[in-house]
Amino acid sequence: MTDLSARTELSPEAAITGTAGPAARNRRPGKLGRSLLKHLLLIAASLVMIYPVLWMLVSSFRPTDVIFRTPGLWVNDLIIENYTEGWNALSDPFTTYLINSAIVVIGAIAGNLLSCSLAAYAFARLQFRFKAVWFSIMLVTIMLPIHVVLVPQYILFNYLGWVNTFIPLILPKFLATDAFFVFLMVQFIRGIPRELDEAARIDGCGHWQIFYRIMVPLMTPALATTAIFTFIWVWSEFFTSLIYLTDPTKYTVPLALRSFLDSTSGSNWGAMFAMSIVSLIPIFLAFLFGQRYLVKGIATTGGK
Amino acid sequence: MSVVSELSHIHVEKPKSAEDRRARRKAAGRDNKAGYLFLAPWLIGLFLITIGPLIASLYLSFTEYSLIEAPIWTGLDNYVRMIDDARLHNALQVTFTYVVVSVPLQLGVALAIAILLDKGMRGLAFYRSVFYLPSMLGASVAIALLWRQIFGTDGLVNQILRLFGFEATTGWISDPRYALWTIVLLHVWTFGSPMVIFLAGLRQIPSMYHEAASMDGAGRWHRFRHITLPLLSPIIFFNLVLQVINAFQSFTQAFVVSNGTGGPSDSTMFYSLYLYQRGFGEFEMGYAAAMAWLLVVIVGALTAINFWASKYWVFYDD
Amino acid sequence: MALNRRQFLIGGLGAAATTMGLSACGGGSSGGGSSDGSADLQFAWWGNEVRNKNTAAAIDAYTKANPKVKVSQQPGEFQSYWDKLATQTAGNKAPDIIQMDMAYIAEYGKRKALLDLEKYGADVSKFVEGSVDSGRIDGKLVGINAGINSPAILANPKVFEKAKVEVPDDKTWTWDQLREVSAEITAKAGSGIVGMGVLFNDVMLSAWLRQHGKELFTDSGLGFEAADVVPWFDMLKSYSDAKAIPPAATVSEEATKSLDQQTLATGKSAMQMFWSNQVEAVNKASGAEVQILRYPSMSGNAAERKAWYKASMLWSASARTKFPEESVAMINWWVNSPECANINLAERGIPPNTEMLALVTPKLSPAQSSVAKFINDIKPELATTPIAPPPGGGKIGDILNRYQTDLLFGRTNSADAATKFVDEAKSNLK
Repeated sequence: MTDLSARTELSPEAAITGTAGPAARNRRPGKLGRSLLKHLLLIAASLVMIYPVLWMLVSSFRPTDVIFRTPGLWVNDLIIENYTEGWNALSDPFTTYLINSAIVVIGAIAGNLLSCSLAAYAFARLQFRFKAVWFSIMLVTIMLPIHVVLVPQYILFNYLGWVNTFIPLILPKFLATDAFFVFLMVQFIRGIPRELDEAARIDGCGHWQIFYRIMVPLMTPALATTAIFTFIWVWSEFFTSLIYLTDPTKYTVPLALRSFLDSTSGSNWGAMFAMSIVSLIPIFLAFLFGQRYLVKGIATTGGK
Repeated sequence: MSVVSELSHIHVEKPKSAEDRRARRKAAGRDNKAGYLFLAPWLIGLFLITIGPLIASLYLSFTEYSLIEAPIWTGLDNYVRMIDDARLHNALQVTFTYVVVSVPLQLGVALAIAILLDKGMRGLAFYRSVFYLPSMLGASVAIALLWRQIFGTDGLVNQILRLFGFEATTGWISDPRYALWTIVLLHVWTFGSPMVIFLAGLRQIPSMYHEAASMDGAGRWHRFRHITLPLLSPIIFFNLVLQVINAFQSFTQAFVVSNGTGGPSDSTMFYSLYLYQRGFGEFEMGYAAAMAWLLVVIVGALTAINFWASKYWVFYDD
Repeated sequence: MALNRRQFLIGGLGAAATTMGLSACGGGSSGGGSSDGSADLQFAWWGNEVRNKNTAAAIDAYTKANPKVKVSQQPGEFQSYWDKLATQTAGNKAPDIIQMDMAYIAEYGKRKALLDLEKYGADVSKFVEGSVDSGRIDGKLVGINAGINSPAILANPKVFEKAKVEVPDDKTWTWDQLREVSAEITAKAGSGIVGMGVLFNDVMLSAWLRQHGKELFTDSGLGFEAADVVPWFDMLKSYSDAKAIPPAATVSEEATKSLDQQTLATGKSAMQMFWSNQVEAVNKASGAEVQILRYPSMSGNAAERKAWYKASMLWSASARTKFPEESVAMINWWVNSPECANINLAERGIPPNTEMLALVTPKLSPAQSSVAKFINDIKPELATTPIAPPPGGGKIGDILNRYQTDLLFGRTNSADAATKFVDEAKSNLK
């Protein structure tokens, strides 16, 4: 346990490429050319990846009636009304919807991190009766298309009086209903060598201590992945918000965005794009800054 | 004992004596108390929120249920109807094609990019975010519009093709021959999700293996094949199983690009989309429930095959 | 094991709660409200920002005048509105006042989910003739017309000018002449412009069938046979061959677009079918002032074209509302009071109450005035109102569109398309 911190000094790149240190990297002259080429390719690929988003960004600065007449990215007359007016175009200022979504998302992330890691530890490390049965059932819950379970769940939540609250959107996360993450964490835990468990047990740790002293720190990439995915999926979750939230002041961002549209008459595309960009920013920032937890290495020798 | 080997050995070893059986049962249940305590939140969720609706949906599959009136028992009628439902067969075909093509494609791209982005280089964080951006757009209406702007009759792709002198008069998303492939492309474009999982998985490979191997003179490709790939196999397996399950349930992208129609000419009528149309659109929730359980059987079978095959290529450290 | 028993108990509870909820859907009478007239109403509608603001203002006005009534607003967007309504109805939580559409009124009405409005004092006495009966299901009035509509062909004069073609006389033209004019425009206008955008849909089929003595739907189901629609598919093919309508891919793409992205709005076509209450939206999206044209007739005489008034949308109430009298009272106020008429004007369609129409006419925008004039002008051309599509019939437009697309892409012929179309439409009817 004491050696781990010392060995994590090794940089990730050195670990993967196996070179001895930073000095060794640029030894060969051809490497600079190759690196340049790689960057060019990556930049080109990046443009392809984000062109659609760029189009949406540019369109958010155009008047609504012009948007679909101009497919290109040329910026002619930029306006910011989509943002300024769009913010207040609905029954409440857009901040309301951002806050509502934030509440739901933070609750969901907390719930998933807590409940899924507990369940994953049980499936991955513990031996108990009927484990295979429960595991199979867990997989079946992922396989069932949601539209069919939706209605009975709605009836259930309605019976409990939880319609028009955030409870149906958050509570299930505290009960590990996102089996996807349980399975994800199971696979990650199984990649952690058992020797660490044994070592801890010899040191006198019980399961709980093994869990939060060893597993959780080593599972950081899996936890970060769970947090980021939960954020993005819950942030853009539309259908469940649609049926459970009837009061417009409780709307989450996807519902609010949909309110800008009406297929039977005119839609306010400009405002919708503008507010979509606004709602993308938290996700993008979360990913940008949360990345390092994703790639936090363990770089462990597996030693004491 | 790994879960995988448990699952695949379930029918293999038969205990020889009563004593043997007792010993196996004792070993299997040695962490009973801890196990069920850790599992408690999931079990509560299962029984409170999931099992009831799960059983209800099974019950509904044997009924005629309009949502507006109470369900009426009809026995096996829904299941019998599925045999002759040509649109259902088409939906299965569309979905299978989609799964078989887009899952390996997307995973391949995701893995390749993850490995590329794993090495230290400048702008790493930026590239990672950019490649993940498409996945962040999520289930938005915006994606449909963007895709139409690119693949529509007068969209970007056709404009570029015309620059090069091609005829390019047909829209890719509006032609029954090509519409499905634009959705495959959309799926591949959102490779960010499995990429992120691969990235996290690559981080977990102890550097000592790579150091030892390179000290022994192993080159990059060799190290990839014999260290990275096997140690990453639990994650590859995870991504494969879940992407297959997800792909079969694929709904949003087809819904949003075809505007809920599954068109043109049912060429993008994914199974889940057809299920949704019958359930909510035609007020036939009983039939939709039957379709759902058929899907569970199909996907369950494929997942079981996945698990069975995994013992040949997935390597677990424990 | 004690654990297993407990698990089964919880599981049973979950399942029992669910089935209990499911069975609560059937039957059940609408409870009496409260004797002092106080009520808590859930009011659901779909619309865009303009309609949402108007509706909210009108609701405020009503609650001010009736302080004992509390109204919770549930605005929505058309596509997802129906999923939500179905789910709410399944959970026995349908809104009290529901904005309803002709495509769905039979689904809900025939399954006894809508309140019999006349039983609780609905007042449609001042409604213009032909505007009430579309809300009747099995003889009961379950939906009150919220605005009158009629299908029309909207023409963009700017595009006609560009093609140097005169806008034809819509009182005398025939289906063939419509094709000829469209083909002429396509030939002369250039830059990818076509004469006709979206045209061949279930609405036009209805108009065309009526001129042949048939209907889309009758009380006994589908109102026509395969033989009746073979000429229809032939007509579609002839339009496509003459290049009166866009190429197959464009037609197919149009089905996925909303109003402001379709060819008329983007200036890529000269004419397109719309409902009369969409004129203002089309004007805004296209930047032109469209002309409202009638559908052609077989004989060239508009008086014989069997036009009809459609309820653009209707006001219904849930059959299980706890406040039937208060709900109907609010609906009555909505369609009969000057206050509400002045707020909403003609946004949902032309007011069916003749007095209200007279009241708002001077306040209408130029586009809405032309719509009101059109609705009035076609009165002598009306025939019996078509009945609401029966359960399973609401999506006939989608089925038609699919076979039309197949025909246009050359994947089938008229005879096959007609047979398969009728078979599928019939099998969908419940």
